[in-house]
Amino acid sequence: MGIKNRLKTGIQKNLNQKYIKRLLGIIATKPVLYAYGSTFPTISDKYLNIFTIESLKKAYSDNSHPVGYGSLFLPYEMFHALGITPFLPEVMAGFTAGLGLAPQTLKEASSNWYSQDLCTFHRSASGASELDVFPRPDFIITTNLACDAAQKSFYIHSVKYDIEKNFYLIDVPYRYSKESIRYLTAQIKNICMDICSKTGKKFDISMFKEVIDLSNEFRKWAIEVSILRKTLANYPPYYNGLNFILPFHGLAGTREAVILYKQIYKELKKYSSKEKKENSNKNKQVKRILWLHLKPYYRNEIFDILDRENCRVVFEEINHVYWPELDYEKPFESLAKKMLSHFLVGSIDNRINVILKAARDYRADGAILFSHWGCRQSNGGARIIKDSLKKLNIPTLVLDGDCVDQNNSSQGQVKTRLQGFIEILNSEPK
Amino acid sequence: MLKEQEITNTIKSKINTTEDFFINTLSSANNRAAVGWFCTYTPEELITAGGFIPVRILGRKKIIKSESYFPINFCPYIKSSWESLLANTGNFKALIFTNSCDGMRRFFDIASRYLDNIPSYLLDVPHLKSKDSVDFFASNISDMKIFIEKLNGKKINEEEIENAVKLINKKRRVLKEYSRIFSKLSHLIYISTYYKVMELSMVSEPGIFIDDLEKYLKFIGEVSTENEISSQSNYKDSPAIMIIGNFIAEEKLWEMLSTMNFKLASDDLCISNRYFEKQVEPDNNTDLLESIAERYLNKPQCMRMADMGSKLAEIENNIVKNNIRGVIFISLKFCDNMLYSFPLLKQKLNEMGVPVLYLEIECNNFSEGQLKTRVQAFLEML
Repeated sequence: MGIKNRLKTGIQKNLNQKYIKRLLGIIATKPVLYAYGSTFPTISDKYLNIFTIESLKKAYSDNSHPVGYGSLFLPYEMFHALGITPFLPEVMAGFTAGLGLAPQTLKEASSNWYSQDLCTFHRSASGASELDVFPRPDFIITTNLACDAAQKSFYIHSVKYDIEKNFYLIDVPYRYSKESIRYLTAQIKNICMDICSKTGKKFDISMFKEVIDLSNEFRKWAIEVSILRKTLANYPPYYNGLNFILPFHGLAGTREAVILYKQIYKELKKYSSKEKKENSNKNKQVKRILWLHLKPYYRNEIFDILDRENCRVVFEEINHVYWPELDYEKPFESLAKKMLSHFLVGSIDNRINVILKAARDYRADGAILFSHWGCRQSNGGARIIKDSLKKLNIPTLVLDGDCVDQNNSSQGQVKTRLQGFIEILNSEPK
Repeated sequence: MLKEQEITNTIKSKINTTEDFFINTLSSANNRAAVGWFCTYTPEELITAGGFIPVRILGRKKIIKSESYFPINFCPYIKSSWESLLANTGNFKALIFTNSCDGMRRFFDIASRYLDNIPSYLLDVPHLKSKDSVDFFASNISDMKIFIEKLNGKKINEEEIENAVKLINKKRRVLKEYSRIFSKLSHLIYISTYYKVMELSMVSEPGIFIDDLEKYLKFIGEVSTENEISSQSNYKDSPAIMIIGNFIAEEKLWEMLSTMNFKLASDDLCISNRYFEKQVEPDNNTDLLESIAERYLNKPQCMRMADMGSKLAEIENNIVKNNIRGVIFISLKFCDNMLYSFPLLKQKLNEMGVPVLYLEIECNNFSEGQLKTRVQAFLEML
């Protein structure tokens, strides 16, 4: 049994905080961590895993760093500037799927009256929280950006840990306007000031400047990666753009995010040069897929099937760099603009514009919208997305499934639907 | 004794034949141009001031065509409302949506794209209740005002808003009085009658409805006094129940509950207290739109608002004040805000020693036998 499987089995049998801490204590020591890192096929994958483990170790350590739970679309620059270690329960729910823990966490959520109709990212995270698997938070910051679920489930976490006074909702307006920027800027500023007064730290603008510089540098490399990907027909083995949610959000404003995205760029550049040299006819036959929404985080066949059938995911909507460069002279306003610029804020037209542009830029032959059970905000737009892409003669597969709960997704059905879709793609003239 | 019962039954029959009391309201439907709305965070005052009748879309159509627009696990109220709009847009000149929830935002997208001849507007409602949120909401209401003005090319002046505020405040006041009388005489007024009148208040010309409701209340007051019908005579041994839910406008459900032995002592619903509680309180130092914004953000809140703590406190107060023995929690299926509120509500009710029955329903697809058995078992347990 390999090191990864041993880790998985160990944690499945001992799903408790003490074991996780012990595990992180061992694995996050430099020699072990780098030995573990060497098991990954690419350096970017190695960095991704090492940075994730280091971030988790910090969140689980009992030292003086305050821990802040955060929902996915927050401007994490504020966490890093305030010296708060971020912990992202929704991302952790993805890990529960990958590590085979979701049956335990979802069961716990059900026994605590979380309906099975709710999103499993939040249900699984809530179950894990109820099982005391997560580290104790000092602050909880969430937002209504994208969906209703985070603000509700995160409030329940705050009650569990008796820190309702340290629960903050960043209320993101529907429209991008001067009034919206003002309203949002004031909220972000007030939250930062309130956290400073609670932690007894003086607000340090120089920390914000440093973090914003790093965030801009990360943004620059993320854009470079996106530009480069437009020219690629193929990808290095194991590359999956859907694996980078944590760094894209949670590490924005850190040196790690810069290192990681620079490395991804290097690897793809090298691959691109190789591709150009070979100029193989094989690549011309590749069907280019635009991936919408997320993917299942448990072991599944989707990407193997696509690979076998010569289909490549050429871009994922979640990797779209949606925000303008941040201005360190106006840190709060910049973060407000970052949030308001997200394509999931406001009308579906914002999302459609991103999707259509990506479909053109990446010369997509087809799109797959992974319809994660219970995600009303995304699935509610499926009809419009499908109709909009149809106007560009791009077929869309709305693939029903569940990103976290393997038992709520029929592998057979997924396979059949994927194969049917691939047949349609192959029948379309290139 | 028998005669007394006969009199009571005759009175009961009259009181519950609401069609006889709301003739003007019912006959005035479709007389004037209307603006459709969906959520209790929509300020009806502005629609009225613009010269339109604010008509809530109730979603009474069986879901058929709308299945192809929304996923299977999506709000049945939205699907049913969309079905109604696809079938007939009647005298609607526009639709006003709110960003109440994920579902409603996507509903607005669908309506904007696929409903060709009727303009739609989405009012941005904050999730917080701070002073900044009130100011921000006031500016959004001002934007909505411009949308309404464009519908008939006429500016809405201050006086028209003031008059609309007075009118809608009066409607709320009379509805509150009706709610008080219902609690007092709930053995005479069926649960189904109570909610039927509440629904009527949301789809009718406000002035005509107020007149009819006042006459109706006067009648109830007179017959109950003349016949010395004491309050709650039939409810001595019936448990006091509170119903908590979202947009529950299921006639068959209310009819079923009307036949069961309990007293509906309090509710927390989109078609009841969340609609009529709290007045707009204009004052000379505050902009009128700000007063409106303040009322809407501070009325009994929907589960969508951020502060679940104050919502739970609101419910707790109602339970204590009305001596509630059991809570029936009814949610339309797939309502995330409601479903996420349940774990905390359940915890709070456990602490208070109040049992709760959890029900989920769909629109126009009501399994009476199953629900009746569950409610009966719950009442027996109490």
